[in-house]
Amino acid sequence: MATTMTRRNFLISTGAATAVLGTAPAALGQQIRELQVWHTEVEPQTVKTIQDTSIAEFERKFPGFKIKQQALGWGDLNTKLLASLAAGSPPDLTHLNPFMTASLWKKGLLRPMDELIRALGEKDIHESTLKLQYFEGKYYGVTHAIGATYIAERRDLREAKGIKPPETYDDFLKLTAALTEDGKRWGLQMPGEKLYIGFVHPAEWLASNGGSWVDPKTWRPQLNGAAMVSTLEYLQKLNKYMPAGWSGQKYLDSLAALATGKVAMVYLSGARTIGYIERYAPEGTRDPDHFQPMLKPRGPQGSKGTSALDGENWAVFSQSKYPNEAFEFLKLFYKREHYMKYCHTVPIHLTPIFKSMMADAEYLANPRIQKWRSWHDFMVKGLEGNRFLPIGFSRPEDNLLPFLAELDGSGIVADLIVEVMVGEKNAKAEADRAQKRAEELLAQLGFKRWS
Amino acid sequence: MRSSASSAGRDALWGWLLLAPSLLLIGGLVLYPVAYNLWLSLFDKHAFLATQRFVGLEHYRYFLTDAQFWSAVRYGLVYSGATLVLQLALGVLAALLLNETFRGRGLLRGVVLFPYLIPTIVAVILWKWLLNDSYGLVNSLLLGVGAIRVPVGWLGPDHIMTSLIVTSVWQFFPFVVVTYLARLQTIPPELYEASEVDGAGPWRRFVHVTLPQTRQVLVVIVLLRSIWMFTKFDTVWLMAGDGAVSRYVRTLPVYAYSRTFTYLQAGMGAALAVVMFLTLVAATVVYLRILRADEEAAA
Repeated sequence: MATTMTRRNFLISTGAATAVLGTAPAALGQQIRELQVWHTEVEPQTVKTIQDTSIAEFERKFPGFKIKQQALGWGDLNTKLLASLAAGSPPDLTHLNPFMTASLWKKGLLRPMDELIRALGEKDIHESTLKLQYFEGKYYGVTHAIGATYIAERRDLREAKGIKPPETYDDFLKLTAALTEDGKRWGLQMPGEKLYIGFVHPAEWLASNGGSWVDPKTWRPQLNGAAMVSTLEYLQKLNKYMPAGWSGQKYLDSLAALATGKVAMVYLSGARTIGYIERYAPEGTRDPDHFQPMLKPRGPQGSKGTSALDGENWAVFSQSKYPNEAFEFLKLFYKREHYMKYCHTVPIHLTPIFKSMMADAEYLANPRIQKWRSWHDFMVKGLEGNRFLPIGFSRPEDNLLPFLAELDGSGIVADLIVEVMVGEKNAKAEADRAQKRAEELLAQLGFKRWS
Repeated sequence: MRSSASSAGRDALWGWLLLAPSLLLIGGLVLYPVAYNLWLSLFDKHAFLATQRFVGLEHYRYFLTDAQFWSAVRYGLVYSGATLVLQLALGVLAALLLNETFRGRGLLRGVVLFPYLIPTIVAVILWKWLLNDSYGLVNSLLLGVGAIRVPVGWLGPDHIMTSLIVTSVWQFFPFVVVTYLARLQTIPPELYEASEVDGAGPWRRFVHVTLPQTRQVLVVIVLLRSIWMFTKFDTVWLMAGDGAVSRYVRTLPVYAYSRTFTYLQAGMGAALAVVMFLTLVAATVVYLRILRADEEAAA
């Protein structure tokens, strides 16, 4: 029997069908909730290990939840985070650079995590990282892993010249000059990224030469202080022993240049350098006898050379949709067997934050750590000697400065360094110019405390 | 009488209803963002916090004496001017060649489009790789033929602007080729035949036939390309935006981005965007007026 559908019936049935279809995704969405986790460890094996260990266990324990992890490079993470905060939808859990944490905490955007820190074992967390995100008696972050940065050198070349590891700016300058072979090899290469040359290294130079970003009391910038000006003059001399285009190259380019013998030292190095050495260095030289870390030298006004400690911290935003689950995930992330596997994905670069694990036989049994044990020991020695500060810090108290991210972002210091080093401009005049810009910036941001 | 009035009213209503989607789109996607940006430029607004303070024209006053701003204007003019001239020269020349009849012309017309079709990120990575002073092909070739003794720092402060201009010209000249070639193909052959009969050589044919015939399309190309190059962000940023040498190619769009997303001063970034917008509107108006006066004089 043939039937015809009236217009009214058609509209009613279409409307009903649309309503059913329209509510279906909502109903499905209520079943599975998504925990957004952003981090900065982009190596594929690290991402896979997180997925297979802590995420897998979390999803088993919390069947209503799925974790979506996103691995982002530093620069991408910062930009994306700011955009998500502006839109009011940040991730539930994220890595943060310590220099950004104070700024976000000051604005009331972070949740305290004291309970988590106690559950992880407050006393076992290495002192170099424990209190980086400790504000007004509460913890607001926990470092995911420690990775020291240092100079990486061709130890064999230095020893062939009979020169000891440098202690001071002067020693380092002499060493760099000695290792430069005209037309064949440059003594040194620095990374060309603004983040490093305009923020990470200047913080180290200030710390190593008795200076600081700002006056501790008034927050007045100190870019034209004696510590910075004498460093700039030293850098100008150092530039003569570096390849002409270094400022346009990246950190990873400099590692490749070290491994392939184009330069004798790189200023920014971490355990990641080992991967480059093992891949690109000539056969027979891929070992710690040829490649060795070196601590940064001190300036004429400093008491010890300081390097940056690479260690982002996990943070939970106050706007997080699922903060409790984020903390539960972190407990699983730091669970011994998961965490050790995580640290072994990039050995030494991801050194555990737990003192007990750092000396653990099972941790140290990793073949890469065994082969490059001197690099691990070197880092531990540096930690014990208090030779490291978090990235971008010129002194430990810089974790309380709420404008370091803006100072980094402004590129004021990068402009200063490049103009003096590569542009060969007068150090004091350029430092005065940068000082004026920095004072203007802090005043615009509402952080001017000086008169 | 009443019925014809109500019918006209209904027609008008229908007209507005039919126009509504377009008006909504233009209003939502063009007018509102421009107006909001203008409004934002009057505030001291943090990039990600919901706090703002009215400052009136303070940002504009600040930029008048801001050395970074004037440096960005200068770099922007150098970059857009140089790339525009080179794209035009190269594009017109290539279009004239591709308008001739020769074997493999079809293939070559496809190949010449290649740089314009690939994503900017790929183009920039490719050029940075070629120009790298440690392992780049350009230095390797120059060293090989003995033109240089030590590698040139193409990506360093001294040459980064040149490298950026070369990359941009390579990437965008195909637009000129395609647009100009399309117009060349519509010029009546009789004009060339007549000029040949009159004894005109290739150069005179170009000056007296091709150029007058393609004048309008050249105007459009110059207008569009100057707007696009003056506001070009991606190529400049990818080439050196996060590098220590960024200050040597910091054009206005890059400076506006930096003020907003790295200095975190959204109000200042908005003010820079307004300045760029007004500059381009003024340049377009002046340019079109000159053109109209030229056309009227020719008529």
